[in-house]
Amino acid sequence: MRFCDLLVMSLNNLKRRKLRTVLTVLGVIIGTASIVVMMSLGIGLQELNMESLSSWTSLTEITVTQNYSSDPNASNEDSFITDDVVERLSKLDHVVSVSPTLSTSVIIRQGAYICEYANIQGVSQEALHKITLEEGGRYPDPNSQQMEMVFGNMVIQDFMNSKTKKYYYETGELPELDMSQPFFVIFDQNAYYQSQYPSGDTSVSPPKKYMLNVVGVVAGGTDTYNSYSYSIYTDVEQLKTQLKKVFKRNPIPGQPTNSKGKPYSYFIYNNAKVQVDDMDNVKGVQQAINDMGYQANSMIEGIENQQRQAGMIQAVLGGIGAVSLFVAAIGIANTMMMSIYERTKEIGVMKVLGCDMRNIRNMFLIESGFIGLAGGVIGIGLSYGISYLINHIGGIAQAMSGMEGDISRIPLWLVGLAIVFAIVVGMGAGFMPAMRAMKLSPLAAIRNE
Amino acid sequence: MKETIPIIQVKNLYKIYCVGETKVRALNGVDFEIYKGEFCAIVGTSGSGKSTLLNMLAGLEKPTKGEIVISGKHIEKLSEKELVAFRREKVGFIFQAYNLLNTMNAVENVALPLSFRGMAKRERIARAQKYLNLVGVGEQARHMPNQMSGGQQQRVGIARALVVNPQIIFADEPTGNLDSRTTMEVMRLMQQIVRKRHQTLVMVTHDNNLASYADRQIRIIDGKIVDITINTPREDAAWEDKRDEEE
Repeated sequence: MRFCDLLVMSLNNLKRRKLRTVLTVLGVIIGTASIVVMMSLGIGLQELNMESLSSWTSLTEITVTQNYSSDPNASNEDSFITDDVVERLSKLDHVVSVSPTLSTSVIIRQGAYICEYANIQGVSQEALHKITLEEGGRYPDPNSQQMEMVFGNMVIQDFMNSKTKKYYYETGELPELDMSQPFFVIFDQNAYYQSQYPSGDTSVSPPKKYMLNVVGVVAGGTDTYNSYSYSIYTDVEQLKTQLKKVFKRNPIPGQPTNSKGKPYSYFIYNNAKVQVDDMDNVKGVQQAINDMGYQANSMIEGIENQQRQAGMIQAVLGGIGAVSLFVAAIGIANTMMMSIYERTKEIGVMKVLGCDMRNIRNMFLIESGFIGLAGGVIGIGLSYGISYLINHIGGIAQAMSGMEGDISRIPLWLVGLAIVFAIVVGMGAGFMPAMRAMKLSPLAAIRNE
Repeated sequence: MKETIPIIQVKNLYKIYCVGETKVRALNGVDFEIYKGEFCAIVGTSGSGKSTLLNMLAGLEKPTKGEIVISGKHIEKLSEKELVAFRREKVGFIFQAYNLLNTMNAVENVALPLSFRGMAKRERIARAQKYLNLVGVGEQARHMPNQMSGGQQQRVGIARALVVNPQIIFADEPTGNLDSRTTMEVMRLMQQIVRKRHQTLVMVTHDNNLASYADRQIRIIDGKIVDITINTPREDAAWEDKRDEEE
């Protein structure tokens, strides 16, 4: 029998029992919609989490630091992050860029305001350009005569009014700093403290102050946190030049010294930020770096944890939805069984007339599969409607997630999956009745009742 | 006129039903032969085993013992699947209760067995229409079964049996639900068509009068053949006379 004949026959059978077909399809519609909506909530929740996570940190970044040995006497020289190491890291597969970070503590002041624990991070130009600046700002120029700085958007909170000796968190008043004016930066903190608070008879002359400009401020204002909020950024090469100028051959604070207490002849970075091309590769690259003998950290573990949790939530939500689809499946099986009892004679006649048993089975499978298909397609439509309502009416989404954005999201794969699933469930439910129809004795038709 | 090769050979056929402890012998050792182009009537009272015999000839029931050879093929040895194919290719069926599918109109009903063969729709509808014309209900092609009289329905049933151009046509009390006038019309129709097309017709009936029009009557009582009568071949004219007498 041709497939299209089979199809037409099946559809006619459904058509002639309109009400029953509609009711059965309705069951599948509700079942499909409940699964899809539930899963869309799970997906939305996960994506919202990921979005909020990636808004304040990079998900594809690995921070490489030196591997601190547990033995205090051992030299850590092997795992120092040097220019050479940066070079080697950048040659790993899937690594897009490597940006070394050299950080140092400085004292900054402008007018009456002073920040005694400012952290300057020297990073590569690439890394600098990742920072989003407030309007009007620019990135530090690597070729400028003087070191140029970008302030984190919350750095301003760390300044103390030297007259009142009060911080922002005590007064709630933001220091009145003028970003267009230069700041005084003191690199040699030891000398600063010794001159400020002289001990004994050794008098230390106050260290040299450098007048440096702030060329930009990290976007976000003083109350929105991001990973750049609390540091001052500058070009790493400029920072190196600056530090060499300040300390000459003396040990630089924060830089390790060898066993004799002498500084090394090269700079040792605090860490290097490795950018990986894709989130899926982060784990592999991280492992490779660990194998090289460095400490590599990324958000990946946290993300994986979160994804596992989100997966579980999705499974639970989907499971709840699946219950109603299961009930719908029972409905399909019931409808098909009824249909077989009604059509016993007809099936028998068809068999006597030489209809293949497979064709009879397929006819019933097509009928139940079509119920699944119709229910699945209409159910998807209903899901989109419900999803729209959840996302747009009365802040349900915000109440449920506490985040901005759509909480119910129906990706295309879910649409496809749901329809296929509905068809499979329909056919599965119709399978037993179909087998039964196939095995019906043709004699039933011949016997005259 | 008669062929010498038997198209149906039945040898020592038994069918025993077990009803609880007791065994019911529906067929108790049956032997006969039917030749190609014959109109054969199996006559017997209710419960004589005639319907069982027909079912087994058509491969709807398995014999307990014995052989059924139809055009050289052992029917009793075929699998369910092969039996379906056998019925589809070789056999036409006429039922007492017509058994038209109520969801289809006349022409679709006739075309149904052709669709089982995988024939394209346009082709099979055209062919079905031809056969409806042949049996005289061409006008009613678009009618649903419940819009037709019993006689018309049975004509559609006959068209459905003929449309596949079968070697053998089985008819189980084909006129059982019809009044005497329509019965005669239907009988005449079957007779004419089968004779013209040189097909074999096996009809089961309890009516001796109807059976008397067959070329060969197999009389069956309690599962055994008691008598096989061969009628002298009748010309159509004679058949016409018979009909006139009836009227």
